[in-house]
Amino acid sequence: MLTVKPRLAPRWGGALPRDARDTLFLLGVIALIVLPQVSNLPWWCLVLAAGVLAWRARLALQSKPLPGKWWRVALLAVTIGATLATHRTLLGRDAGVAMVVALLALKTLELRARRDAMVIFFLGFFAMLTNFFYSQSLLTALAMLLALLGLLTALVNAHMPVGRPPLMQAARLAGLMALLGAPIMLALFVLFPRIAPLWGTPNDAMTGRSGLSGTMRVGAIAQLALDNGIAARVKFDGAVPARNTLYFRGPVLARFDGREWRELNPFARALPADLEVRGPPVRYQMTLEASQRPWLITLDVTPQAPQAPGIDLRQTADLLWVSTQPVRDLLRYRAESYTQFRSGPTQRVPALRSYLALPPGGNPRTVAWAEQLRADPAVLAGGTPALVRAAMRHLRTGGYEYTLEPGVYGDNTADEFWFDRKAGFCEHIASAFVVLMRAAGVPARIVTGYQGGELNGVDGYWVIRQSDAHAWAEVWEEGQGWVRVDPTSAVSPGRVGTFQRLAPEPGVFAGAFDAMSPTLTQNLRAAWEAVNNSWNQWVLNYTQGRQLDLLKKIGFSAPSMQDLITVLLGLVIAVSLGGALWTLWERSQHDPWLRLLGKARARLRDAGIDVGEATPPREMAARLGQRFGANADLASDWLLRLESQRYARSAPLALSALRAEFTRLAWPR
Amino acid sequence: MTATAAPTGLRGRIDQWFLSRRPPSDRLELTQRNVYIVPTAAGWMLLATVLVLLVASINYQLNLGYLLTFLLAGSAAVGMHISHATLRGLAMHLTPPEAQFAHAAAVFRVTLHNVRRSTRFGIGMAVRGSGHWAWTDVPAQGSCPVEIAFLPHRRGLHAMPPLTAETRFPLGTFRVWTVWRPAASLLVYPAPEAHPPPLPPGEPVAGQPTGAVARARAAGEYDGIRAYRRGDPLKLVVWKKAARAQAAGSDDLVSRDTQQAQREELWLDAQAAALPNEEARLSRLCAWVLMADRLGVDYGLRVAGRSVAPAQGEAHKRQCLEVLATC
Repeated sequence: MLTVKPRLAPRWGGALPRDARDTLFLLGVIALIVLPQVSNLPWWCLVLAAGVLAWRARLALQSKPLPGKWWRVALLAVTIGATLATHRTLLGRDAGVAMVVALLALKTLELRARRDAMVIFFLGFFAMLTNFFYSQSLLTALAMLLALLGLLTALVNAHMPVGRPPLMQAARLAGLMALLGAPIMLALFVLFPRIAPLWGTPNDAMTGRSGLSGTMRVGAIAQLALDNGIAARVKFDGAVPARNTLYFRGPVLARFDGREWRELNPFARALPADLEVRGPPVRYQMTLEASQRPWLITLDVTPQAPQAPGIDLRQTADLLWVSTQPVRDLLRYRAESYTQFRSGPTQRVPALRSYLALPPGGNPRTVAWAEQLRADPAVLAGGTPALVRAAMRHLRTGGYEYTLEPGVYGDNTADEFWFDRKAGFCEHIASAFVVLMRAAGVPARIVTGYQGGELNGVDGYWVIRQSDAHAWAEVWEEGQGWVRVDPTSAVSPGRVGTFQRLAPEPGVFAGAFDAMSPTLTQNLRAAWEAVNNSWNQWVLNYTQGRQLDLLKKIGFSAPSMQDLITVLLGLVIAVSLGGALWTLWERSQHDPWLRLLGKARARLRDAGIDVGEATPPREMAARLGQRFGANADLASDWLLRLESQRYARSAPLALSALRAEFTRLAWPR
Repeated sequence: MTATAAPTGLRGRIDQWFLSRRPPSDRLELTQRNVYIVPTAAGWMLLATVLVLLVASINYQLNLGYLLTFLLAGSAAVGMHISHATLRGLAMHLTPPEAQFAHAAAVFRVTLHNVRRSTRFGIGMAVRGSGHWAWTDVPAQGSCPVEIAFLPHRRGLHAMPPLTAETRFPLGTFRVWTVWRPAASLLVYPAPEAHPPPLPPGEPVAGQPTGAVARARAAGEYDGIRAYRRGDPLKLVVWKKAARAQAAGSDDLVSRDTQQAQREELWLDAQAAALPNEEARLSRLCAWVLMADRLGVDYGLRVAGRSVAPAQGEAHKRQCLEVLATC
């Protein structure tokens, strides 16, 4: 990449003409903005940006003229063509990022008028924001803070038209502006109401994060990134049902090839849904974010079609509501669900055979263990429920661990989970559990969806995030039908039922310092994690709920969005009033000469000479002389000089000098 | 002297009213009352940028995006105050301008005083509406001179045109400016004609013979030497004596003294200028005055019923030019 960093090269910095120095500095800042997102940019964009920046730096160093208009037009055409070829659009998020970076680089070839420079600065601010699409870590934040200071420095420097001011001077001022601007930033950040996206966010590039996809590839993801993006918002008509019943049903996966779980072949013989519900219904309104998938997520289980105007819905045998179109926009619907229900055939029917299939020869140890469990006398006596209980007890007591960093699994994922690694997140656990059940001759399947959520105190909406995505199991029992079993709850009770989440363990410094000192590594990691956690808690997870908690702390009993705006406006009004008062005060006091004369008048009054507001210094001096004679000479002299400071034609005496003298002067009494 | 032109239209009248509110003074201290601020095109662009950043932060729910947006907005708000403070508190002092020739580039000298402990950067000064900016930085607790270029158009004694000081420092998002009406007046001489005809012939002084003088001058008869006077032509300087004086460490020059008693007088007369247009006549007279002064001859001026007796030297030249400017 670019190695031209003018700040690191004082040897050049001293000798370069101002134009070249400023250009190199700006190029360095642009490189700093682009560098953190290098891994997310298409290769052509990187090549173009690096090439153009290096070319521009060379031109600046050699004081050569900029390339002609046709060069820029050609490069712009290349950019647009390459963006279209890579992303098939110019409008999506990733296409936009590539375009902004390429345009930012291209615009440096046109640094002539003041307007061109301004366009660079504003494109630079956009390019800084695009970094946050990919990472909002503390390091990214620090890099972008540096970049913002760099851009402000370049901007300030561009408005120092005289001579060749040192860059440090502009940098100091930029730092001062950012420092003084920080309270404004803080107030706005804390109080600006966090509102829902103004329109559906394009959900491109969400892969590799938590969420629902319709298939489940077990053991392929070494590290699961929890995506705090919102999947859906629910407004319950009454009270929110118990958390451990909040299973939002998504696609049901029953076809397993040893590695990947898929939905059953649509042409396979479907089981009848055969649904019976009990108890009172739960009524709610659901707002589903655009998911690009056809499923309408509902609370388990929803017998009647959700009321979604203009959308054709059908229910699958797996009790999932599916639309004919993928959900491309924010979708709102009403639904009525029952948390107590019974479904599926009560008698063993041939179609259940689909839920017993396992790839031949796979997971031999699990299969052997299943045979063993089956032969257990307790299981023989108790049937399927006893088998499930035995497996769950084994999960609870066998030293199994819930982790978001399980590493990549081998071919026999269930064997590896049960006997070797004993660690994984919900999909490992559910998959291993279902394989065990099937091996033991119990029909079982995986249900994906969302579990839990959190209440947003502001609007009373229940928020389901992508990080709430979950996978659980359903096993078939004679006479009962499908029964939900959540094996993850046995491994990590915290995963289900509370909203505590397992934080991903950052492995940034692991190993690097081990050779030096194990405790140092530990301490460093602990400190880093603490810092990162505070960052996550206070900056990245600063949500509507937190805003309202804050309002509660400052005395609002039932805070709402309006209260946030009220506090923000109140703050603005208070600051403006303060400013106005200060201005008034300054205006009344603004003439330092009059202020000094007023002080002198006060001294005269102390000495017993009554002088009016309109008495000129000369007369004050005369009256001092009358009263005290030679004792007052120094003071009289000072008063006369004060007068000449104001009225003499010659070069005026510095008022600050007179003021300093005033404090030292011994006034006669 | 565009400002003295009659106001045209509503804009002109508003302008006139605006100017009339400023009492003329050769010293101006800038305060909250006379410093104005408006956003520039770049400022509006920055506002648009901040709004787009805000929308992006909302739509992608980027808390770090909010931080960036608000820090940028906060810095711009602070920048606005810094911008205003760059002019507020500045004192400007006008050195009374010297007389100028019309249509010749000239400068006003203004001194900017800064009592603040920090430098004021990027202050531009210009004659209001001229667009010829002189940029300067004013050092902390110091002062700096600024030369403002201007082009006087009409001869005469005029009020100074209003001056303006402006800054866009530090972010270029706000234009902060002030308007200053100096109290000093400005004397503008007519523009000297570019290629004037030779000087008119001398007029004989009543009762004196003429021929001998002309011959004596042509032959270079001199009466003696005297100290150099400003305005003496170079050919009158006695260079040998000057070289000796320089060697002795003195800068004094000596000139040859011509015969004081002239028998012929050079009168520069408006009627002799032989031009129909009065301004053109004055231009020619002006050129003649300068020419006669260069030649070091005595000359008198008669124009528009006023006359200046023949003499020479700097003071005489000024007197003649003043008559030409104000007649």
